[in-house]
Amino acid sequence: MNPVVEVSHVRKRFRLPLDKSTTLKYRVTHWRSSSRYRDLIALKDISFDIPPGQFLGIAGPNGCGKSTLLKILCRIYKADSGYARVNGEFSAFLELGVGFNPELTARENIFLGGAMLGLTRAQLRNKVDEVFAFAELEDFAEQKLKNFSSGMQVRLAFSVAILAQTDLLVMDEVLAVGDASFQEKCFDTFSRYKREGKTIVLVSHDLGSLEEYCDRVLLLNHGEIIADGPAAEVTAAYHRMVADHAMAAERDAPSQLSRGDPGQWGSRAIEFASVTLLDGNGQSSRRFDTAAPMTIDMQLLVHRDVGDFVIGAAIRRADGLLVSGSNTSLDHVTVSSHAPGEMVSVRFVIDSLPLLAGGYFVQVSVHDLTGSEVYDHGDPAASFHINNMGGHVGMFEMHGRWQVEHEKDVPTSAVRQTAR
Amino acid sequence: MTVVAQGSGTLEAIPRPGSVFQRNLNLVRELSITSFKLKYTGSALGYIWSLVKPLMLFGIMYLVFSLLLKVGKGDIDFPVQLLIAIVAWTFFTEATSTAMNAVAGNGDLIRKAYFPRWILVVASTTSALLTFAINTSLVLVVTLVLGHLDLTLRSLLAPLYYLELIVLVLGLSLLLSSLFVFFRDLGHIWEILSLVLFYGSGVVFPIMLIKSTTLLDLAGLNPVAQIIQDLRYSLVQSSPLNHSMASIIGPLVTIPIVISILALVVGYLVFTRLTPKFAESL
Repeated sequence: MNPVVEVSHVRKRFRLPLDKSTTLKYRVTHWRSSSRYRDLIALKDISFDIPPGQFLGIAGPNGCGKSTLLKILCRIYKADSGYARVNGEFSAFLELGVGFNPELTARENIFLGGAMLGLTRAQLRNKVDEVFAFAELEDFAEQKLKNFSSGMQVRLAFSVAILAQTDLLVMDEVLAVGDASFQEKCFDTFSRYKREGKTIVLVSHDLGSLEEYCDRVLLLNHGEIIADGPAAEVTAAYHRMVADHAMAAERDAPSQLSRGDPGQWGSRAIEFASVTLLDGNGQSSRRFDTAAPMTIDMQLLVHRDVGDFVIGAAIRRADGLLVSGSNTSLDHVTVSSHAPGEMVSVRFVIDSLPLLAGGYFVQVSVHDLTGSEVYDHGDPAASFHINNMGGHVGMFEMHGRWQVEHEKDVPTSAVRQTAR
Repeated sequence: MTVVAQGSGTLEAIPRPGSVFQRNLNLVRELSITSFKLKYTGSALGYIWSLVKPLMLFGIMYLVFSLLLKVGKGDIDFPVQLLIAIVAWTFFTEATSTAMNAVAGNGDLIRKAYFPRWILVVASTTSALLTFAINTSLVLVVTLVLGHLDLTLRSLLAPLYYLELIVLVLGLSLLLSSLFVFFRDLGHIWEILSLVLFYGSGVVFPIMLIKSTTLLDLAGLNPVAQIIQDLRYSLVQSSPLNHSMASIIGPLVTIPIVISILALVVGYLVFTRLTPKFAESL
């Protein structure tokens, strides 16, 4: 069968002007320097096919080129070289309600939005009531769109967007909209599309939903496909990539928090001089096994004598999820400064790290007792990776026990698993 | 096997019409009706405003040029000529200045949806054309009833001149709307050029008042002057001051006609050439 989408050696470069030169005065006064621009390579030689009926996810960090790729697929951007071909009709959901006008009534917007999809007024006329029923907006047909709540607008926009029959559906993270019951309707629609054998491309940051829906995921980074395969594999590769990236950044600037980094802020009355992760032998390390000990070693430099203060440390997963965090105040530990210029060494010792395979960050903070003045804040201050050892799945090791008992005259429901 | 529940839980999709032309035509229609509607909803007098503006201009120009300066004296039907010219001019200037923003002002649509970009310009022109058609019909019917129109064989050419005006406006609109994306000074430049054209095309005075033959030839080369003059000649009784452009500048009259057609060709070529850059530049 012919692929629904053929992408072959697509390259895209953006020229970003360093100065805004769209006025005559500028052109005249700066005619010598009219060619000042910076090249941004958005896509380097991208090729892939999508067979009919596949649900393809595209993931990647911000600026990896995934939106550019999507726009080339939808013919909004033109590739510099190579081609992207869609065999059949496609509907693009880059944003819901494109073309809607707030000054028009809901009914008029259905005709307008439908026309953007290629549907004619005659076709839509018989469909209007159905659309309002599906969008649960029967009583608002003659209301102007500007009087709709954002939820109502989204419902109407989604209902219109799915009106046109299509072979390929291209979506850019529009799933996270609407109230829960309507969201369910959206997912039902997508599931139905999937059952009907429609081809779907979904771009998302949300690895969870990619894993849930996609048959295949492409991972993009710096304009290149760096992984292509089943969702679970690619998601793991993504976690690895984020962690490795953070480590590489750290290697370039060993242990030192760089000023000017948006992750670092504070009054600097007390400053983190270094944050190091130590393994069970007291050696600096960035790779740990599940259940191994880890110590977060923090060296603080006191610039101003502030008396008692609080140090906090937290671990975040590569995608930003807060795994765990604590501080000296919560754990009833007193830390004090005595004189400017003093170095204070603080260690947070974890006897056994229960985390499972993946990339993680350490975030540290030092502030006054009330938390009103932050002296220094490092996010991320360090990163580490937990080795994949097989075994349990998920984020952390559950330290549970299975108990199986065989006794006569006991109903089977008493056979249970316990977790502590 | 899953049974999909019918009812409000699902919405069956409709197949799009097979003809791309039909889809594009439909989108032009929806977009132009929308902008026409939006222009007049919310104001108390609505559509009447689009009639009041040219009428006001007519009133002022009639007062200044006909009554005070007596430019059209000896031409009893000059007010009718003035009215026809001003309605045509209003279409020209409003259509081109609105079209200027047809691409640049729709960045959101262009960055988020795919459809042929020329539809935006055609819709903008169509919307202005709608106003123009209504105003022209009103003016023609009223003047006809009052007995100021002179419908003869040469009046059969009037629709062609109107067509030439539309071709010229559409061509300029394609050109202006695409260039404006990259060159924002064009808005001001076009305003000034329009002012020059307004007086250079003899909208408010008989073009034959220009005594210098060189200047008259020069004015006659501009399509707006030619269209307006020929419209007057084809619809209103001829007089020493009201002739066809062909009889005023001779065979040179082919030049403004060619310019009008060229405007559409060049406008289309420039527009399609620049289209791939729109989404990135807005």
